[in-house]
Amino acid sequence: MNKLLARKTGLGALLTGLILVLLAGDVMAHGERAQLASMRMRTVHWFDTKVEPLNVKVGDIITVTGKLVTSEWWPKHMPSIEDTVFLNIGVPGPTFLRLHSEVNGVPMMRSTAFPLGKVYEYKTVMRARVAGRYHVHPILNVKDAGSLVDKGTWLEVAEADGDAPFVNEITTLTGETINLETYGLKGVFTWHLIWIAMGVAYLLYWLVRRELFIPRFIRIREMGSDRANELMTKKDFVVSSLFFTVALALILGGYLWAEHKYPITIPLQTGLVEVEPIEIPTGGLEVEVDHATYDLAGRSLSMQLKLTNNSEGPLRIGEFLTANIRFLNPDVNEGEIYEGEEMISKDGLTVSVDTIQPGQTVDVELVASDALWEQYRMTGLIHDPDSRFAGMIFYYDENGERYFQEVGGAVLPNFF
Amino acid sequence: MSEANANGLTETEVKARALDLKSLDNPRAMKLYRRFDGIIILVLFTFLVLGIQIQFTLTAGDWDYWIDWRDRRWWPLVAPFSLLLFIAPFTYGIWERVRLPIMATAVTTLLCLVSWLSRYLNFYEFTHFPLSFTFPSTYIGLGILLDCALAISRSLIVSTLIGGGLFGALVYPINWSFMAPYKVPVEFNGMLMSVADMMGYQYIRTTTPEYLRIIEESTLRTFGGSVTPLTAVFSALCGMVIYALFLWVGSWINGLDKYTKRII
Repeated sequence: MNKLLARKTGLGALLTGLILVLLAGDVMAHGERAQLASMRMRTVHWFDTKVEPLNVKVGDIITVTGKLVTSEWWPKHMPSIEDTVFLNIGVPGPTFLRLHSEVNGVPMMRSTAFPLGKVYEYKTVMRARVAGRYHVHPILNVKDAGSLVDKGTWLEVAEADGDAPFVNEITTLTGETINLETYGLKGVFTWHLIWIAMGVAYLLYWLVRRELFIPRFIRIREMGSDRANELMTKKDFVVSSLFFTVALALILGGYLWAEHKYPITIPLQTGLVEVEPIEIPTGGLEVEVDHATYDLAGRSLSMQLKLTNNSEGPLRIGEFLTANIRFLNPDVNEGEIYEGEEMISKDGLTVSVDTIQPGQTVDVELVASDALWEQYRMTGLIHDPDSRFAGMIFYYDENGERYFQEVGGAVLPNFF
Repeated sequence: MSEANANGLTETEVKARALDLKSLDNPRAMKLYRRFDGIIILVLFTFLVLGIQIQFTLTAGDWDYWIDWRDRRWWPLVAPFSLLLFIAPFTYGIWERVRLPIMATAVTTLLCLVSWLSRYLNFYEFTHFPLSFTFPSTYIGLGILLDCALAISRSLIVSTLIGGGLFGALVYPINWSFMAPYKVPVEFNGMLMSVADMMGYQYIRTTTPEYLRIIEESTLRTFGGSVTPLTAVFSALCGMVIYALFLWVGSWINGLDKYTKRII
């Protein structure tokens, strides 16, 4: 009775587990909220991220473009982006093929290094490989630090029109056009089958015999370890010698055959490539951060800035960007919003001074407020071990020309 | 309580051993032994396949997962190191107790089979990587050489020197027969890449950036630029040392049976 009960309970648990697995939903995000708020604010500022087109079929081309600024407020205790970084793309595995990627016009097949406080324009070209709905994120993998993720954009990939299998052809320097989806597999399968057959044959020779583990153990115990080798027969010696010779011949023969068939080969390629950074276009505006407070109840970051306009025309602040969240000033209405763009507050920025005239120095209060602070776990800023912030302000001259620069400093919480 | 004889065995134990020996002539006993042998094979091989899969994944995983990790310097060192430290203790135990030189072949064959299963289900079906990018390496031939060296010489020392050495030295040659096509050069955006590099670039791995690869880099410490032969020699030496060291570990583990005897 108890056994029956235990079986039923076990079966029930198994079925419950299976149902839970089957009911599991899709992953809808890829860590954009996971990292500490201050880390997201003080590492890399991504902007102008554009993924197009947003509806494609398998085999179609997708282009991801954008810009980023490496923060001058990069945490000193964290391995720096100035050492080694790789421009990557956050998609669920090889659902896309990466055909091309570049930063400031330099191809990015390898890793590079980004000095701080500079602008980098990136571009990644992909080809859709597997149908589905994907959240595409540009990513920077920073050596020894981790991944820095830009905001995601949803992309729909439909099945291709025909039933033909996906082909990924390239031409080698030896003049051969190959399909990387299946390249070299014939040789891989053949050699693996040969070795598996050899291994199984060898094991069968030793394991299929009248006296195996227990009888041999009894005999060796009786004979003693000095005479144990008497269990090894002449046939064992001959068969082992045969396997040894065949294995060695196959290894060396296979090696020589491959050398003959592929006479031109190279080692794996690695090493850093260099990218010339772009200076930040500040447009002659001097910015000094006096202080900043984060209002918990109001979900807003308030910054007191001293701004000096050294340019020849008036400037208007149109946008504040931090941790991939854009706070737009509705009075200026200059910032472009891209198709499918997320993490954007269209009227989230208020600026106490509308226009900064040439030669003028003014105290300006910038207030970035929106529920997005809460939604993207930015309120954790006050619980971080290093409560400082950084972000980008974007401002425009009278011709609509955009300039930007980074602001940052200590931030104090306002609990009440 | 019986008194112990010159071999330290009690009279009862001597009688039991005599009966055990006599049972080898008894067809019914032999039938039972064969059934137990079957159970031993099942349990032992299950343990081996699970053990080597975890051990190899943790110590040499990425080198075996991706073709753009299998370089000339690190992979031929790491892979035999990882395998031999697992194989050696089992070889010692099985050789000392039943004189069967099978453990290296068993471990490498089982690893190959379970790796193919993993690559097909996890990498190909589940995450859409092409098999041409993620096929496993093979070490079965090296296992056969190691076991045969023991079977022919009937000496753990000789098999360490010959088998352990060959196991380390031949990692690159045994895989080159099907790995060479992936080292053919390609020009891409004005840069030289191998086909394997190209696959690593095109088939996106979000959390495996290019710099993460532990592969050969340019160095001033070369011997006329000969990387593969030098690595093979060094790997052979490491193979001998690791195999010897972990045979000793096996002998130590084997000696623990005195405690089990006391308990029984």
